[in-house]
Amino acid sequence: MAEIIVEPLARVEGEGGITVRTEGQKVKEVSFDILEGTRLIETLVVGKTPEEDVSITCRICAICTLSHRYAALRGLEKALGIVIPPKAHWMRSLMHLGEFLESNSLHVFLLALPDFLGYPNAVAMLDKHADDVVKGLALKKYGNKIMRLTSGRMIHGENPTVGGFGKYLDRRTLLDLKKEAAELLPAAERAVEIVAGLDIPSFFEKETVFMCCEPGDSEYGLVGDQIKISDGKTVPVEQYRSLTNERFSPHSAAKHCLYNGKPYTVGAIARMNNLGERLKGRSRTLFEKHWNKRWLRNPVYNNLAQAIELVWSLEQIPLVVDNILKHEDDPAIVKPSRTQGEGVGAVEAPRGTLYHNYRIKDGLVAEANLIIPTGQSLEDIEKYLRIAVEEMLKQKADDHAIRMQCEIIARSYDPCISCSTHMVSIERT
Amino acid sequence: MEKKKLDVGLYGFTGCNGDQLVIIHSEDRLLDFFGSANIKSFSLAKSDNDDSELDIAFVEGSVSNQEQAERVKEIRERSKFLVAIGNCACYGGVQAMEMGQDTWDHRFEKVYGESFLENRTPVESKPIDLAVKVDFYLPGCPIDADQFFRCFGHFLRGEQPAMPDYPVCAECRWKENECLLLKGVLCVGPLTASGCGAVCPSHNLPCVGCWGVVKEGNVTSEFDLLKEKGFSVEAIKNRMRMHTGIGIMKPLKNILGVY
Repeated sequence: MAEIIVEPLARVEGEGGITVRTEGQKVKEVSFDILEGTRLIETLVVGKTPEEDVSITCRICAICTLSHRYAALRGLEKALGIVIPPKAHWMRSLMHLGEFLESNSLHVFLLALPDFLGYPNAVAMLDKHADDVVKGLALKKYGNKIMRLTSGRMIHGENPTVGGFGKYLDRRTLLDLKKEAAELLPAAERAVEIVAGLDIPSFFEKETVFMCCEPGDSEYGLVGDQIKISDGKTVPVEQYRSLTNERFSPHSAAKHCLYNGKPYTVGAIARMNNLGERLKGRSRTLFEKHWNKRWLRNPVYNNLAQAIELVWSLEQIPLVVDNILKHEDDPAIVKPSRTQGEGVGAVEAPRGTLYHNYRIKDGLVAEANLIIPTGQSLEDIEKYLRIAVEEMLKQKADDHAIRMQCEIIARSYDPCISCSTHMVSIERT
Repeated sequence: MEKKKLDVGLYGFTGCNGDQLVIIHSEDRLLDFFGSANIKSFSLAKSDNDDSELDIAFVEGSVSNQEQAERVKEIRERSKFLVAIGNCACYGGVQAMEMGQDTWDHRFEKVYGESFLENRTPVESKPIDLAVKVDFYLPGCPIDADQFFRCFGHFLRGEQPAMPDYPVCAECRWKENECLLLKGVLCVGPLTASGCGAVCPSHNLPCVGCWGVVKEGNVTSEFDLLKEKGFSVEAIKNRMRMHTGIGIMKPLKNILGVY
């Protein structure tokens, strides 16, 4: 029996690896191993105040810190009977878009693109692709700036708090952000053009299921109280356990998820496949130009989906800024109307649907359950890795080529390993 | 004569990767950083990493399994200086907030049940200096880019890095913020190392303590003050422990008798 091991998988966030065990031309086992240390975050928030919970759970991940914060806030506020005012709602949309710009551009330009162009990292790309690297960095910088301004600092800013924000942005800052969004649109369109030009092999293609938040109002969006599934179903977020069915796998410190016993995909590609028809403006044009049925069978198109989301995010920002300005007189923070209750908050993190479920008793967290995007994609990643390796063994590919292909497939999911290792209580039946 | 470039490695253990990300997010300076030293290892940013001898190892994250304890020892052996960056490396981070309370076994079982992990042997998260000698500490959750590059600049010039040793309250006063403690808000600014620019109080929100306990922070006085303001012992303990890991263990034990 031969083994091909990729460990650690570089240019992903957190410690993970891929193990492939083969016997002759047969694949014995393929595993996407989550090697990150365990933190037991859900056990640490018990007994803490809702505000403390938000400060702790956002630390699960630095890249999706604001998505965690947003999901936690949605879950906690439902439990506490808080309805936030429109100004707070739109400020949260703005911070969320900032994170999408930061995370998607980081992944597309700095983490994924070097694979396709044959470089070990983005800095090495500077010689021949300086213009594009600079464009990618400009987009990321803008995303970071929005995160810093809305949350208080670039990573783990505490400004978005239970009931609203500690402080809101002034009119001038908001208008500057709006202007900058328009200026960066060509850079985002360039991202789409570059990624659309990459050659994506088809030999590992296979159908799967896609899941994302249903934003409502026939809009493309990133939050919702229902989940839209590509099999046609729409399910309230409160039923998330029946959608995700978390279970333990010994090679992974993150739990795996299955829907109806089958792997499923979350993330930009799931959003595009489920909601792409709702896009408007430039993102709509680009979606129509580039989307095809292979997107339903090939996870590597996630890179292109992320690039189109960059364009969409920039197009959203002027609308969001206008909405914040319309509600300038709203209160900064709304207080809880009760001290106990339960709530499920779901948002789209850049890499997929993120659930935070809380039970509050006497004003403190009594129970927490978090389900993370990368955990949901693990089975799907392994499914495609297995198909790819089987095909490549038939074609007598060498270890190096197999390793490279596996890395491209795994990395295209934009896995977030710190996120996926925070764990959830095992339910024994 | 041109000076030999420093050989530098960046490593991430258990945490959110936020400290390495702060460095990646520093765009313009990132290119200078890659140009001013030989970056031998930086797994979050590049794939051609090697395990060679280093002048400086920057280590992020807590040690949360036995394999990481071995790995950090191996990094220590081939590095002249080892710098712990971020709260997880310096103090254990949020995942170490219950250190010393013997709750870990129970909590681990709650999450994983009877199951075991094939590839790793988990332990309760702890700071790097419980596994190896640490030369310098750069706290923060996450670290501040300016502080990191200032520290790195010191190394480039062959100097020893120095960190501020005053609390968040000092920065808060420079910003002329109203004191939240005086308004009866549970703020741990007086105990917390500065470097963030008093960012939370500047947003009308209390300091959560995410840079760890400042040297000579008067825990007893803050504890008494908060009790006087009407906060329960439990609420004060929770808030003080949240981000400080091992940093608050001893002083709290002195106040409460037990931890």
